[in-house]
Amino acid sequence: MIGEIWQYVLAGVAVGAIYALVAAGFVLVYQVRGLINFAQGEFAMVGAMTVATLGAANVPLVAAAALAVLVSALVGGFSYVLAIRPARNANSVTLIFITLGLSVAIRGAALYVWGTNPQSVPAFSSGTAVVIFGGVLSPQTPWVLAADALVFGGLYLFLLHTRLGTALRAAVANPPVARSFGIPLDAFGFWSFVAAAAIGGLGGVVIAPITTASYDMGLSLGLGGFVAAVLGGLDSLPGALAGGFLLGILEKVSGGLISTGWEQGAGFILLILVLVARPQGLFGRAVRRA
Amino acid sequence: MRDALIVVATVFVVAWFLPPYALGLLALIGIYALVTLGLNLFMGYAGQVSLGQAAFVALGAYTTATLGLRAHLTAWLGLVAGAAVAAGAAYAVSFVALRLRETYLALATLAFGIIVGVALNELDYFGGSSGLKDIPGLTFGAWHFDVRAYAIASWTVLALGLWFAGNLVRSGYGRALIAISSGELGAATLGVDPERMKREAFVLSAAYAGIAGGLYACYFSYIDSTSFGFLLSVNFVLMSVLGGLRSLWGAVVGAGLVVLLGQALQYVVPLVLPSARGDVQSFFFGAILIAMLILLPQGIAGRFRTLGRA
Repeated sequence: MIGEIWQYVLAGVAVGAIYALVAAGFVLVYQVRGLINFAQGEFAMVGAMTVATLGAANVPLVAAAALAVLVSALVGGFSYVLAIRPARNANSVTLIFITLGLSVAIRGAALYVWGTNPQSVPAFSSGTAVVIFGGVLSPQTPWVLAADALVFGGLYLFLLHTRLGTALRAAVANPPVARSFGIPLDAFGFWSFVAAAAIGGLGGVVIAPITTASYDMGLSLGLGGFVAAVLGGLDSLPGALAGGFLLGILEKVSGGLISTGWEQGAGFILLILVLVARPQGLFGRAVRRA
Repeated sequence: MRDALIVVATVFVVAWFLPPYALGLLALIGIYALVTLGLNLFMGYAGQVSLGQAAFVALGAYTTATLGLRAHLTAWLGLVAGAAVAAGAAYAVSFVALRLRETYLALATLAFGIIVGVALNELDYFGGSSGLKDIPGLTFGAWHFDVRAYAIASWTVLALGLWFAGNLVRSGYGRALIAISSGELGAATLGVDPERMKREAFVLSAAYAGIAGGLYACYFSYIDSTSFGFLLSVNFVLMSVLGGLRSLWGAVVGAGLVVLLGQALQYVVPLVLPSARGDVQSFFFGAILIAMLILLPQGIAGRFRTLGRA
């Protein structure tokens, strides 16, 4: 029994690491633009589908992965320019509706480009599975964890140790004052969208060998990443990391012990509990009372 | 009252000249418009947001279907029971969800919708993932409703819904709802109880969705949990926004346009893009939703009203 649960936990680590990446995108955009971007999961889908297509065309893995992240970032940039910037004065609910439309549109376009068939992607390394305390870790999991380390380490260094990162934090803390110091808020909004899309795309690239790539994978990745972001707190990047792993492990354990259908249900039940008891999330600061 | 009677009379006459295919679309538009109408009361007038409206449709549909299949209750009572169950669920959820605002309310209703979907899919009593089939439909004596009767029935229920909602929004109650959407604190200082009124609007919107779900189950005689997923909730938002959030006729316009546009695109897209497979037309729905919100946030019906006044 304990061994079984341990195995579910290890399976949850890989999924959780992806949720953490998608959640990082949610947090980034929410912090800079104050909106929940429901298209975040579609960026991951674009990354996964691109790497699958390029891989099938025998493009070397490193180049295919880099191109996939670039394509996701481009989709993110165009999305911002076409859908978000024209509505910058809209209220938060309208912006949610717009990103919902964005996710439906990107999914429809992906269906046209790639069709309905799921595409498999070979694992990045052909090594044997790693065994930890009797539980098996899939050979792709270390790659997923490395992507997490790269993204969260990079964001940490950027935000706390560069001039631009400091300016970004100022823009988040107090937009009017930041603007009076000449910080370009709209440009930050654009680049936060591009960065969130690139991070999501990287998530899609590293998860593709585990889940296979299909045009409709963005919905569940996006919902998972977004539950993880709210669990951790929408204003906290460490929260996104913790929320991602917490959700991934909870999903796999409840899926294994009850039935796989409850994987998603368990995450959303936890989400409701958190919204009621601690709306700012496990790691977030208390929200202002309206 | 007059508008509602005109609707019923028009549909009653038109229905005799339409082929079964068009009647099926008419029935579906009536059902979807009913859900959207409830959603407009909650989102457009009370200024709230729900991304889980499909769950209330599901609760209504499953209640009607289960009562018909297992208790052999007449479907007419099943419709009423479906509305009651959906309304009861909304009442229970409101104590949690309506404490939250804007973004967080959207998240909570979304979560509720997904949990209902998962539960219906996992509980064998409700047919599990294979759904419920051979659901007994509406009858009149020994006569079973055909597609023409369903088109007339769904538009009759819709007309009743329009009549009730019209009286509601033109009363002091409706003005109080609008006051809440422009600021709860301000509304409260004018003697409006925002918490109670938001709850009532939410419960009412769920009742509309519940009846619509019951009609859906009777008409199609088959339901499964995938028919009422998150994407259907997004579709209701699209219908709402397209027609005009703060309007009643907008619900009919929005539902009609989305259903007809879906049919038209299904026909046109393969002609223009021969290699397209599956639900490619969803791209256009997403694009239309974005364009409407940017260019015409008050919706089509809202736009006509403004023009009429000017």
